[in-house]
Amino acid sequence: MSAAGMTCPGCGSTNIVDDDLYSQAQLVCVDCGSVVSEGVLANDPVGGSDVSFSRTTAVAKKPCANQIKGLQRVKAICRILMVNSEIEALSQTYYKMAYEHKAFLKVSLQKKDILTGCCVLVSCRLLNWPITIGTISCLLDADPMVVGAVYQEMVKNLSIEAPIVNVTDVIEAHCHDSVDVPEELAENSRDLTKRAVALVELAADSWIVTGRKPIPIMMAATYLAWQSLKPNKHRLKFSLDKFCQIAKVKKLKPAMKRVAEIKEVLCKLGKEIPWVGGAMTPNNVIQQVECILQHRYALLRRAMRTHEDALLEESQASFTSVVKQNGSNANGKEQPGDGDNNPHALPEHRNWGKRVLFAPPCVIHPKKRRVEQCEHKDVTGDEEISDSEIDSYIRTPREARDFALMQQMLPLSDSGKS
Amino acid sequence: MDSSSDEALDIIVTNVVATFRTRCHLNLRTIALEGSNVIYKPEVGKVLMKLRKPMITASIWSSGKIICTGATSEDEAKLGARRLARCLQKLGFKVRFSAFRVVNVLAVCSMPFAIHLIDFTKNNRPIASYEPELHPAATYRIKNLKATIQVFSTGSLTVTGI
Repeated sequence: MSAAGMTCPGCGSTNIVDDDLYSQAQLVCVDCGSVVSEGVLANDPVGGSDVSFSRTTAVAKKPCANQIKGLQRVKAICRILMVNSEIEALSQTYYKMAYEHKAFLKVSLQKKDILTGCCVLVSCRLLNWPITIGTISCLLDADPMVVGAVYQEMVKNLSIEAPIVNVTDVIEAHCHDSVDVPEELAENSRDLTKRAVALVELAADSWIVTGRKPIPIMMAATYLAWQSLKPNKHRLKFSLDKFCQIAKVKKLKPAMKRVAEIKEVLCKLGKEIPWVGGAMTPNNVIQQVECILQHRYALLRRAMRTHEDALLEESQASFTSVVKQNGSNANGKEQPGDGDNNPHALPEHRNWGKRVLFAPPCVIHPKKRRVEQCEHKDVTGDEEISDSEIDSYIRTPREARDFALMQQMLPLSDSGKS
Repeated sequence: MDSSSDEALDIIVTNVVATFRTRCHLNLRTIALEGSNVIYKPEVGKVLMKLRKPMITASIWSSGKIICTGATSEDEAKLGARRLARCLQKLGFKVRFSAFRVVNVLAVCSMPFAIHLIDFTKNNRPIASYEPELHPAATYRIKNLKATIQVFSTGSLTVTGI
């Protein structure tokens, strides 16, 4: 109650003031000193305050402990990868956005941990810092497929358009100076990187890179680059296994196949070098790698032209042979002229890889597929189903009894054995 | 790229997935005992039944819901489903073939040329996405048709969707 508009019941004066004695609120008349009214010592209203406890103690919403830990993990990953501060800031922003997004709010802690790596990955891609999903999965100690799935989900939910990583950019990060390696096996990392990048570019031009995992290709290119920088007997005999051992990386099985494919392409180009005589085999092509890479565009053009000329000659030869055949059969014998061509039309369409010089290796060496029989031409879905057909799927009562008996006997015999 | 050839491209349907209901409870142990060509999976709670003609595999749940896969056309899927329902009828269940629905169709097609996936993805972002470390094909999603096309560098295409 306020002091205004009150009169003292003792003297009738309106001069009433608030006085706090021992923190007890009192209204006292100045003129006669009588206490007009006094409040209770505890000023809380009866029945609890109007304002709830949580509202009085409310503070601005703080990130939860796991989110803070996640942000620190993002920072740690960025520091390990030695990325610049822009990437670090961007990854932290993305992590905050993703963590608070409804798609990731209630997922497991393991997934949130993988999310930290995915945020770093997407920031690196957006700011042109070459890094692979394999590296991130190594850092997180997680399966690359799981990391990939979380990455794709995150990119979809946050509507980010991240560019794809170029293999040639990544390879520079993977070639580093060889330490504690014998002198004859050591190599300058700059030369090695340059040579490996050129090999990867050549592989990309000849359809070896597209559709394949990048790391085995990088491994193969680095190995061949290392061999070709000093193609002496010792290095040429050095296997990919041993090379991976001295480079302290785990050998990947597809890398062997990539080595063979790249050597095949190098042989095709090596054949076109005018001043090299003799056959070009995968064994002696390494010595010519420097030359091939230096003049690769010219050699590519020569190789394409030679191949086109060869194809032209072949088609002319087959045409003249067909003409001769038709000429000899023109004596009234029925020759299904179209029948000759049609069986070849479909296989040619499938084997177009045999006609071009460079094509994806799966097309050049296709797997033999068994011919499927098409039985579905006359099926309508509503035909009659005969009883005999269905009976073939049902066991006779005797068979069922024997089966049940055998099932009962099996666990007994197992317990007998053990 | 030889675009002057007039070869027709074959789009071959390789798989049709369909579901239907039997409107009655099915005893999986009975089916496993009395049916041949049957695999019982108690840990998952289903029975796999394979038919020879058409070549179809069916997953049968005790609730009466059945999923048929392996047919090469929608009509074949319907025929296979009806055969399966008749088979279950003969085993003694009061089956009523209902709610037959084709859920997914898979087709393949092959282009007579190779495809540069990185350029393809760059030109078709964001409809196309390509992660070489995860999958060798680029994924192209057509939203309004609810179809997904996997584009391989060899020119093969796999189309899935309804």
